[in-house]
Amino acid sequence: MAAPETPERAVGLLEQIADTALDDDYYVVRAGTAGPSREFNTLLTGLVLAVFALLVAIAAIQTRSDRPATERERATLISDIDSRKDLLAGREVSADRLRRQVADLQAAVVGVDPAFEELRLLAADAPASGPGIRVTAVPSASPGGTITDRDLQILVNALWYAGAEAISLNGQRIGTLTAIHSADSIVKVNYVAIGAPFELEVIGDPDSLEDRFDDTPTGQLWEQRRRSAGIRFDVTGSDDLSVGAAPKDRRTIRRATAIEGDS
Amino acid sequence: MIPVIGLVIGIAAGLLFKPTVPTDLQPYLPIAIVAALDAVIGALRALGERRFNDRVFVVSFISNVVIAAFMVFLGDQLGVGSQLSTGVVVVLGIRIFANAAAIRRRIFHA
Repeated sequence: MAAPETPERAVGLLEQIADTALDDDYYVVRAGTAGPSREFNTLLTGLVLAVFALLVAIAAIQTRSDRPATERERATLISDIDSRKDLLAGREVSADRLRRQVADLQAAVVGVDPAFEELRLLAADAPASGPGIRVTAVPSASPGGTITDRDLQILVNALWYAGAEAISLNGQRIGTLTAIHSADSIVKVNYVAIGAPFELEVIGDPDSLEDRFDDTPTGQLWEQRRRSAGIRFDVTGSDDLSVGAAPKDRRTIRRATAIEGDS
Repeated sequence: MIPVIGLVIGIAAGLLFKPTVPTDLQPYLPIAIVAALDAVIGALRALGERRFNDRVFVVSFISNVVIAAFMVFLGDQLGVGSQLSTGVVVVLGIRIFANAAAIRRRIFHA
């Protein structure tokens, strides 16, 4: 290839770079007798080449000595990860074991102490089952046919009075800390919104429960409302009812402490 | 003869003293070497074409190394990272290949 004498002949940027690969200064012929040496075998050339060789050697040595460090770092990280994984697995195993142990101990304690079990039932801490009555109340559209939180409070109160041992309202167990209230005309039990139809599962002696409830003013009031306001109000006995436990936050005591020696 | 001795002395010095590059200067070294390689290949081609000039060689060598290092420095300062270095490597690479091709043509006539 004949080297171009002028860079203008090249068109594209890359072609220009390729065509003018050799520094233009090499093509300039300097005037004068004391022109620069065309001799390759000079001290200056040797010096520059020595610098070049030194640079290459330094870079090669540097890269070579850096590589083991990088490798070591990588290996350290990998072994670190492995050991952490092992640690995690170990912790998970021991957590599992402890969880089983806790469950076993709980089961052992519950199995041993009937008084504790009774207290749990009483405090709505444990699900309960047994005979009882099922009460269904459905509001009507006619005047006086709505069922409010107050109606349900009175109803539950009357059921306690009639001898109920455990009550759940639309699946919400009535515990010692349970409130029945309404917010924006939505009835809430245990802070859970419920709606019509209201179904109560009441565990107790089915016969005496129903009779005693019918005798209370509340029972008579509901009977009267059923007739006058069109409210549906059914009481049916059942041999096999079951109620769940109250929610965890409705049976957690934080401030109250028992007074010693008073039982 | 002197250039070959220079090469040998450079490599021997590097191997003997094992100088470590300061961490701040490490990014500049590879680009500087590519630039220096470009100057050396150019010099070889000029030698083959009987145009060699030791002053031009020295000046092109030093300016190549300095400018390449400066481009890397500038790229760092501008925040374009290694992209400017990539540009330098591409341009120098093309030049190296073009010069090597010219040498090859002169030697093998192919």
